[in-house]
Amino acid sequence: IYLKCILCCFLSLPVFGRAIHAIARISDEFWFDPIEKGLALRSVNSSRSAYACVFFSSMFFQHYCWTAVSQPCQKGKQLSLPCKLIIKSVLPVFRCANVLERNVEKCSIYRNINGRHITFQLLCKHGVVKTYNLTFQECDPLQAVFAKHLCPNVLKVHSRLLADIMIHFPASQEEVTLSVTPMKVCFKSYTEEDTDFSKTMLTEIQLNPKEFDYFQVGVDSEVTFCLKELRGLIAFSEATSVPISIHFDISGKPIAFSIEDMVLEASFILATLSEAEKETASQQPSCFSEQQESAEAIASKKPPWYENAPNMKPNMSPLAKQELRNIARVPSPVVTDREGPAMAKDHAVLEGEATESHQKVRMQVVFTFHSLFFGAVSCKEKDAVSHPCHSLATASDTEEDFGNMQRSPV
Amino acid sequence: GNFFDEFQLEGVAAEHNEIYLELVPENLSRALKTAQTAKTFKIKLTNKHCPCLRVAVELPSLSSSSRIVTHDIPVGVIPRRLWNDFREPSVPDFDVSIYLPALKTMKSVVERMKNLSNFIVIEANLSGEMNLKIETDLVCVTTHFKDLGNPPWASEDGCQSSARGRDLESMAEARIDIKKLQQLLAGQQVNPTKALCNIVSQRVVHFVLLHEDVSLQYFIPALA
Repeated sequence: IYLKCILCCFLSLPVFGRAIHAIARISDEFWFDPIEKGLALRSVNSSRSAYACVFFSSMFFQHYCWTAVSQPCQKGKQLSLPCKLIIKSVLPVFRCANVLERNVEKCSIYRNINGRHITFQLLCKHGVVKTYNLTFQECDPLQAVFAKHLCPNVLKVHSRLLADIMIHFPASQEEVTLSVTPMKVCFKSYTEEDTDFSKTMLTEIQLNPKEFDYFQVGVDSEVTFCLKELRGLIAFSEATSVPISIHFDISGKPIAFSIEDMVLEASFILATLSEAEKETASQQPSCFSEQQESAEAIASKKPPWYENAPNMKPNMSPLAKQELRNIARVPSPVVTDREGPAMAKDHAVLEGEATESHQKVRMQVVFTFHSLFFGAVSCKEKDAVSHPCHSLATASDTEEDFGNMQRSPV
Repeated sequence: GNFFDEFQLEGVAAEHNEIYLELVPENLSRALKTAQTAKTFKIKLTNKHCPCLRVAVELPSLSSSSRIVTHDIPVGVIPRRLWNDFREPSVPDFDVSIYLPALKTMKSVVERMKNLSNFIVIEANLSGEMNLKIETDLVCVTTHFKDLGNPPWASEDGCQSSARGRDLESMAEARIDIKKLQQLLAGQQVNPTKALCNIVSQRVVHFVLLHEDVSLQYFIPALA
């Protein structure tokens, strides 16, 4: 089983560079995931409280060619073979996004058959050719599922406005609270009960809903998220001039910042601080009893907010624990027949899991409401076969999008 | 009071109608930076969780109603018994008073000198001459300014200090920390209407920068 993937040239190099920089704010490494329809770049931070995905459709590139050689038993399934790259090795390639456009005539990205490298080649002025061979790690697909369309609050705004707002906060400001009612919108510095007010400068910005291109507030809410992770997306959006859509719910539920146009889509999904653990899911459905407990190890990784916010319950809610146990339930391959970024996975797909027990489907539906997910598929047959493609193919019969889910501790 | 469109102050008591506040300048500077395009700008002393300067800035926006940015800057209120510590020093009996050269020029000279030495000597006389000197084991550097002019000061008995028989060519000098001078010069963003300095030999250098409604005075003590 081999995968050959060639991407050549760019319509807009600075846009690609800014996307890399935006993702760099999330984590040190990212998933480089080419599929037939385009190239997806994904990243998740170590505490699993921030997820980014930028998808460039094949039309974004001057030339895009992706081929997979599949075995007959594949039955026409297309495979994706994502790989992980270290951001630090890629950033120098796109260091000065503005300079790139002037000096670089062409940029090619390709991966050879059986190659252990992804190669970025820049053809610059005066015949200079810069070649970067970056070693990658093969890895499990990464994907988050977040039902944007189920969010009661939706704001759409030009990136300039967001940038003008965020400039009032110091560069060191970690968390910011967004507070909405149908009548007003307010961004303010995050404070908690034991904030030392005598040492902290607080900033608050009040806006009129009329300033937004689209303003829908279904439920009054106050959500607190990490500003640092967002700044990259704002810069990226300014490069593309595409407005940013904000989808969110009440505190505790993730907030999604996304941009979308004909050739690219980007989503940054950030966890938000929850006020109190209000979940009442004390009973655990029996269908989960057989789940693997390996997720507990992941559960011990707390987000930074856990350490800094002593007010929050140190233990996860029972619901969270359930969700964790759901991890590794079905080591199925990530469905690669995507129309767009994985984020846009619908409610409909969840309900289509007819083969699963009804109860399980219901719980999975509930999960998408509650938190930030991403499925890291773990192949049970990893040890059996060297090639990941092979093991993916034999993993499961069902077309399940997310085998492993873990709640992002918030 | 004339500087502001509106100004209200109520101090501790009628005969002590002043308030002394201590704050982190970085906070106020940041708040002011965001107000560059402001329609209106208001500062209020409030006490929410603790004493704060509430800076409310009204910014223009795309819609009919403005954007309002509020910064709460924590301040410490200084009790009356400590007010004496912050009393403004009176203008000293200086030996020489002289107008400063163009601040931009002075700034670039001092910045380069800062790399060579920690101390700088300012000397000036009543003939409009000023020298900035540094001296290290390896090198001495002096920058000479001429024709600066000396401001006329009327002393209490009506005659100018220059009439007190001081030799016009004689230099009064003071050796000060160069970093402090450099900070003073770096902080000037707008050219003042008048800029001068008074030197008390070996004691203190007193800088006075005058803008339309605002005066800035700096006292830098001399070092041995």
